[in-house]
Amino acid sequence: MDSYLIAMVTLAAIYAMMAISLNLSWGLAGMVNLGLAGFISIGAYASGLLTTVLGWPVPLAILAAMIIGLVSGVALTYVTLRLRDDYLAIVTLGFAEVIRLAIVNELWLTHGSDGISGIPGIVAREYGYGFELGTLALALAAVALCYWLADRVRTSPYGRNLRAIRDDPEGTAVAGKNVTLIKVKTFGLSTAIAALAGAFYAHYTSFISPEIFQPLLTMYVFLALTMGGTGNNRGAMLGAFLLIFVLEASRFIAPSLPQFSAVQHAAIREMLVAVLFILTLLYRPQGISPETRHR
Amino acid sequence: MSLLEIKDLTKSFFGAHALRGASFNAEQGCITGLIGPNGAGKTTLFNVVSGVMRADGGTVLFDGRNITNLRPDEITRAGLMRTFQIARGFPRLTVLENLMLYAPGNPGETLVGAIWRGSDARASEAAIREEALRVAKRLDLTRVIDNYASDLSGGQKKLLEIGRAIMAKPKMILLDEPAAGVNPSLTRIIAGHIRELAQEGTSFLIIEHDMMLVRELCDPVIVMAEGRDFVAGSFAEVTADARVQEAYLGKRRWS
Amino acid sequence: MIETILQLAANGIMSGAVLAVAAIGFTMMFAVLRFPNFSLAGHMAGGAYAGWIANTMFGLPLPLALLCGFLVAGGIGVASDFIVLRPLRRAAPITLAIASVAISLFIENALRFGFGNDLRSFDLPLARDWVIGWLRLGPQQVQNAGLAIVAMLILFVIFTFTQTGRAMRATADNAGLAAVKGIDTEKITRLVSFLGMGLAGAAGVLLGADTSIEPLLGLKVILSVFAAAVLGGLGSIPGAVLGAFAIGIVEEASQIVVPATYKGAVGFVAILLVLSFRPSGFLGRRQT
Repeated sequence: MDSYLIAMVTLAAIYAMMAISLNLSWGLAGMVNLGLAGFISIGAYASGLLTTVLGWPVPLAILAAMIIGLVSGVALTYVTLRLRDDYLAIVTLGFAEVIRLAIVNELWLTHGSDGISGIPGIVAREYGYGFELGTLALALAAVALCYWLADRVRTSPYGRNLRAIRDDPEGTAVAGKNVTLIKVKTFGLSTAIAALAGAFYAHYTSFISPEIFQPLLTMYVFLALTMGGTGNNRGAMLGAFLLIFVLEASRFIAPSLPQFSAVQHAAIREMLVAVLFILTLLYRPQGISPETRHR
Repeated sequence: MSLLEIKDLTKSFFGAHALRGASFNAEQGCITGLIGPNGAGKTTLFNVVSGVMRADGGTVLFDGRNITNLRPDEITRAGLMRTFQIARGFPRLTVLENLMLYAPGNPGETLVGAIWRGSDARASEAAIREEALRVAKRLDLTRVIDNYASDLSGGQKKLLEIGRAIMAKPKMILLDEPAAGVNPSLTRIIAGHIRELAQEGTSFLIIEHDMMLVRELCDPVIVMAEGRDFVAGSFAEVTADARVQEAYLGKRRWS
Repeated sequence: MIETILQLAANGIMSGAVLAVAAIGFTMMFAVLRFPNFSLAGHMAGGAYAGWIANTMFGLPLPLALLCGFLVAGGIGVASDFIVLRPLRRAAPITLAIASVAISLFIENALRFGFGNDLRSFDLPLARDWVIGWLRLGPQQVQNAGLAIVAMLILFVIFTFTQTGRAMRATADNAGLAAVKGIDTEKITRLVSFLGMGLAGAAGVLLGADTSIEPLLGLKVILSVFAAAVLGGLGSIPGAVLGAFAIGIVEEASQIVVPATYKGAVGFVAILLVLSFRPSGFLGRRQT
């Protein structure tokens, strides 16, 4: 298989994990998370640092990254439990910004904006083509596992409780459900998966820096989920692949508009992403593969 | 001992007193009516008793247990279920899901149970589905069982509200205006369901403005005005009471 | 020590005045439109660039550049409201908030396309700091704060004494009731978008005149603006002003205990504390 294609599918698989994570909290439970990039960066840095600084084996580091992602998600939900949706949007956005500031400033740990390089691959990089194929296989397996987990959740009585909370949290409490506990657990699961995606990214690309985890990344994941179908895990995966396709296809803008600089090409690309997002919200808010009725 | 004992309940909103020491009991096996003019504090009382709002003072005992200011889900699990005046339902859940949601003690409801799905979780989910289908049939909702709650007619939403309360198998149901905005023939049907459920052992406390319905169903009737109860007795007794007539007329002849 | 604290307080008041202008814009749009409009960041940058062009290319003095920034950002605000938000009026507030993030992304990148990522500076006379006793004040900062306060006073007059201002306040209080009383709420929404985003643009110009401008200028201060509005109670204009001064001062004072690079985190911590202890803010209206 072509190396370029392998790289794209691997990247799409990582985005698919992020989209599934967002679908759990936002799509099913209606808990908005504009700080997704923060949780992804927590996973990436945790796993990257544990392997490069402490020399932990990669699988163990990824597991630890997920636990750290889970704990930070649980901690943030605990603080924000009583908040209305609009406040939650502001607080989660702020959380990601604080994480980014910490990464930029704590040079002793994170090397600031220089980033961390030389992060070992999940499969040893020396294998070349074997590394590429092996990482792809593992990424796809991880997506499959995340999808399986998330869809078990969606189709269970627990998932019914989540969708009830999305419609009416107070009514769900009157129905006898401990809404607080459900929200905390769900958000924790969601942020653990976001951290997994971040860790995968770090071990795949071998380099991470705060530049990578801008709010723009959160926007990309929201776009993927919205295009695919909010509330639908299959839609989340579909949207992730579609997103990578769109981002890659937009690379062909550069050669066709040689009069513009590299910065301008990047700007055109982001404008296209913004327009695509707005068009989706206006004309196809339910996405390509909308949430189906549960029977 | 009464099933529900309310003592000196107070609640104010930014200085406006909605409840000023409401105290009364609702007995096991009775359909107790709660009437009073608009603004008497009836719905606030329901909100406080069901844990949706915090009480400023006073106590609520249910089945001998102090449930004052517990969370709504704890109160529901203690066996006291309330409905909402505006039947809101969960618009993006189907009728079947709306009913199944209210079933208590489902092992598949935990996160681990959802993923693991042991035989007990599957068995209980199947049993709950059967139960929900039975309740739907009883309330004549079978035809719309797979519709979203948002697609139901106003009357069907009222029936669903009762159905969801039944699914929780509560000892007592607080019904907030079950007949409001409902045509007379559906009111008859709803009244029939309430009476049947009462005969099967469920106790009720009902807020209702439809006096025909109150006379038909409720005994005793408690009258509230200005945030407290002030008369209790049979429907005939309370309506004969001069103070009640006065409260409903809304003005005092002597003061 | 006491000198340092007073110096930081003075700096905080001056930066708070600029924050207040943006926070008023944010909170008045929240009051009428009922969702947090994240595209405030992009509009701030848009206004800043408009002011910069007026100043460096057409040689206009700062007050006129400020007016240009106000008008252009207000115009973009009306356009983005009309094209994107108006069709989504009935959607959930969070959907609108997410759409507003996309709007911001678009504006920021349009600026990046036109002007690149480089920092740009206004063409302003350099002046020595004024030294009053041990207090040092930058004349530019003082002028910025003064302009911010003038802008707020003009706004106060509009809201208090004009028919339109009263209609805007009525709509903010209760849109349904305002519509019944014959107020054209769609027109008011347009006007509020113009004023709110215009104020964001004016704040962008003032920020740029203080340091420099870049496409992400708004994004960098948006948390402080949100914090000011949340602190004062979302939807309350006097609250936003009070909150902005508080955030300005606390951000400066925080440098005593944490490195200055963490200034951006102050807003977040302030939001968390306020929401934990007094969710409706200082002057917030009671939630029903």
